Amino acid sequence: MAEVSIAEKWGLVVDQDRCTGCNACVVACSMENNVPFTGEDNVAFGRGTYWIYNKRMWEGEYPRVAPAFQPVMCQQCGSAPCEPVCPTFAAVHSEEEQINLQVYIRCIGTRYCANNCPYHARQFNFQDPDIPEPMNSYLNPDVTVRSKGVMEKCTFCVQRIVGGRQTASAEDRPLRDGEVTPACVAACPSGALVFGDLSDPNSRVSQMAQNERQYKLMDELGTKPKVTYLKGGGRNGG
Amino acid sequence: MSDKITRRDFLKIAGAGAAVSAVLTGCGPMSRYIVRRPYTEMPEYNQTGLNTYYASTCRECAAGCGIIVRTKEGRAITIEGNPQHPLNRGRLCARGITAQQGLYNPDRVIGPIFQARGAAGRQAKTTWDETIPLVSDALKSPADQVAFLMGTAPDHLYDLVNELTTAIGAPAPLRYSALASFEGRTTLQEAANRTFGKPALPYFDLANAEVVFSFGANFLETWLSPVSYSAAYGDMRQARPTRRGYLVAFEPRQSLTGGNADEWIPIKPGSEGLVALALARLVAEARGEAPSAAARSVDPTAVAEAAGIEPAKLAELARLFASSEHSLAIPGGGAIGQHQGLAIAQAILQLNVVVNNLGMIGGVFLTTSEQPATTLTEVSNLVQKMNNSQVKVLFIHGTNPVFELPKVLGFAEALAKVPLVISFATFPDETAMFSDYILPDHSPLESFGYQRLLAAADRPVYSSIQPVVAPLYDTRATADVLLAAAAAAGKPLPYTDEVDFVQQKIVPLISAGGFYSAPEIQTFWSRWLQYGGWWVTEQGLDADISAASGSIAAFNDPAALEEDKQFYLVVYPTQLGDGAGANRPWLQEMPDPMTTLTWNTWVEINPETADKLGIHDDDVVRVTTPFGAVEASVYRYPAIRPDTIAIPFGQGHTALGRWAEGRGANPAALLPAAVNEAGDLAFSDVTASIALTGKRRPLARVENRGGVYGEH
Repeated sequence: MAEVSIAEKWGLVVDQDRCTGCNACVVACSMENNVPFTGEDNVAFGRGTYWIYNKRMWEGEYPRVAPAFQPVMCQQCGSAPCEPVCPTFAAVHSEEEQINLQVYIRCIGTRYCANNCPYHARQFNFQDPDIPEPMNSYLNPDVTVRSKGVMEKCTFCVQRIVGGRQTASAEDRPLRDGEVTPACVAACPSGALVFGDLSDPNSRVSQMAQNERQYKLMDELGTKPKVTYLKGGGRNGG
Repeated sequence: MSDKITRRDFLKIAGAGAAVSAVLTGCGPMSRYIVRRPYTEMPEYNQTGLNTYYASTCRECAAGCGIIVRTKEGRAITIEGNPQHPLNRGRLCARGITAQQGLYNPDRVIGPIFQARGAAGRQAKTTWDETIPLVSDALKSPADQVAFLMGTAPDHLYDLVNELTTAIGAPAPLRYSALASFEGRTTLQEAANRTFGKPALPYFDLANAEVVFSFGANFLETWLSPVSYSAAYGDMRQARPTRRGYLVAFEPRQSLTGGNADEWIPIKPGSEGLVALALARLVAEARGEAPSAAARSVDPTAVAEAAGIEPAKLAELARLFASSEHSLAIPGGGAIGQHQGLAIAQAILQLNVVVNNLGMIGGVFLTTSEQPATTLTEVSNLVQKMNNSQVKVLFIHGTNPVFELPKVLGFAEALAKVPLVISFATFPDETAMFSDYILPDHSPLESFGYQRLLAAADRPVYSSIQPVVAPLYDTRATADVLLAAAAAAGKPLPYTDEVDFVQQKIVPLISAGGFYSAPEIQTFWSRWLQYGGWWVTEQGLDADISAASGSIAAFNDPAALEEDKQFYLVVYPTQLGDGAGANRPWLQEMPDPMTTLTWNTWVEINPETADKLGIHDDDVVRVTTPFGAVEASVYRYPAIRPDTIAIPFGQGHTALGRWAEGRGANPAALLPAAVNEAGDLAFSDVTASIALTGKRRPLARVENRGGVYGEH
């Protein structure tokens, strides 16, 4: 562990009034993080792998019916329920990034962490990825390809965070606000996702997290999530 | 790497490469010609372990979003939006993000083949040296018997083929895509022509509008330019601190846009024009103005009844529309893809005239480029000619008519009567299987070119396309094949190859006042590639629009139905686009936003109706229209009129590779070949019947994380 811990607390804001539920984030995340496609049968068995998924809940009755969209990814809890239950210390807290990470090589697939996650954020590999050649050419070399029996989840694109910090350090300057964007944030067509450093009170994400529409997912559990949701106007309970 | 570079310098270089927008390569592999070389001879610009970024243009649909592709060791790794591009400003949709799954798809056509119309015993590989004379001979056929059928992208190839057909005296190339049909592009352009007197696609300033009425326009998912309209939607909601835009969607089946609307008004299919006229009357009256003659001819109460809305609701919406400073009405594909579609589009555009938002912030503008017509009428005429054996040679590029066109049009049968069919497909799709030869073009990420017809750009844009990787296989640019063949046929065009063609076409842009210029074409070319295209810095929409005096035809009432026996049928496109996306596994696995269904075709039916008919989730039903029938599993969809059923388009492939084949059903079998007055497919006023088959097939849905296969 580094002697001086860097006070970086990465956070994400999801503006549900901008979110259209288009699922571009789901696909962008999967392409960036080598999340395998599993095929129709596996999705039907509930074994599809989505690090971020759009929770769509119908509200109201016809004709005043509408879907409430809520993109849900790992909330990077400050007090994460998945961490203490892992017998192999595969679910660990990164003190440097203040996020929750999975050490794939330690994971033996007990799935205790997924049981304990209230957000359904953890995904289990029920089989090895089946990506025939040459389609494996697009796999991101910065991200491990996980094998059967390993739990995985959103990392806030930690490879991009590290890359951004290395860039800044090579140029001898602090990281700029907005310099690091996870794949979902970069893709989001309607600008519903904002990522940044919560420890900097002037960052865009800190400012937005102060919005009066803000709430945390299942805040009452005391998980201290790093993801802040902004209620949609007129819908989504706003 | 030279040993003079210290570790610190190395880190600096590495860091520079990681900043996406900072370093875009402007010289390097695009040095005019692509050469295939083993990666043991790694070119200087491509160092192991370092990212190289290329700006290009997405070709997954015709919208023309700018992309930046991150490559490493010669492989395309990640695709993101180009932050500088005026259309998508760094954003991208699911289709663009998965374009590598097309590039690296194991089912691609890897070299020219004699396809023999799918007769497996006669299929044979061939070589480009043998096929160029073949294409050249084909071009020497009697000019009126040569036909080109092309897709909506890329534009540079369309421009080239246009010149080629002019040179040999053949009919101009046709462009067709099912997506353009579902969007109602031609209808929209013609309606703008009749309403404003100019044949240009209208541009809707959604971001600055306050009250938006969408009539069947699913602009958040597929319509015209979903990424730029999604960005505008986000701004309409939250970019202004004090005013939140209000969206009302009039459509029988709630699309993603309807689902995000503040109010979804499920009007009867076929009543859109009447509703627009009634609104025009009520809005004009609320503003203290005299309604137009067409608007006066309708009785709002009777219209509300015919459309299935409360008259009070209609009046309330009209007051809302009339009282806002920035009201906007958008005519979308579902509303205007009907027999009376042109008049419906005019009536909806007329609503903008009533609130006088023409050329105003938050209102309607006209785009500056004229879009070439892609009408079904012209395609039908081509099919007629093929049936009459008046077409000897048919070239097909970028479209899959056997799959996309309504089956009742009989394209596949007509194709059998064409003696020589040459396909330039990158995938063995349905049409390519029916061809004599497949002469595969490079995949879009291996190609040069440009897109210049961006339906939602607010300024003149030429968006450049460049290879981000060296071609994987023995494919050849279709432009190069045609140029070589034309020269061999004695009708040479004044271009040495595709790159020369693109360069000559962009020469006028050097002095056209864009955001960069150059003393000569080579420097200009390298910037053109580096920035991902050419555009002007200032917004340049045609704000000089005014209402032309035009009358609107009277509307019929919606078709009457036999209750619980007949249903209005809605066929709508999804993230699979015109069906070409079905071989991208991540587009298949991505849950449909509204239903969360994956990997299949489904039939949406209101649960109330389903209960009456005894239909449960996952029951396989047979949907029949006068034109054909398909079978698919039921999804009980709460946000659809009880007298309407809906089927997504894009599945049901019989070819196109392992992930697309034998999956779901193709609703093209249900569609008529009828067109509206503008020549676009009239797909949304079809009635269908539905019958249980007694079979059950569970659909893979993500909304139930426990799975749908029961205990396991």
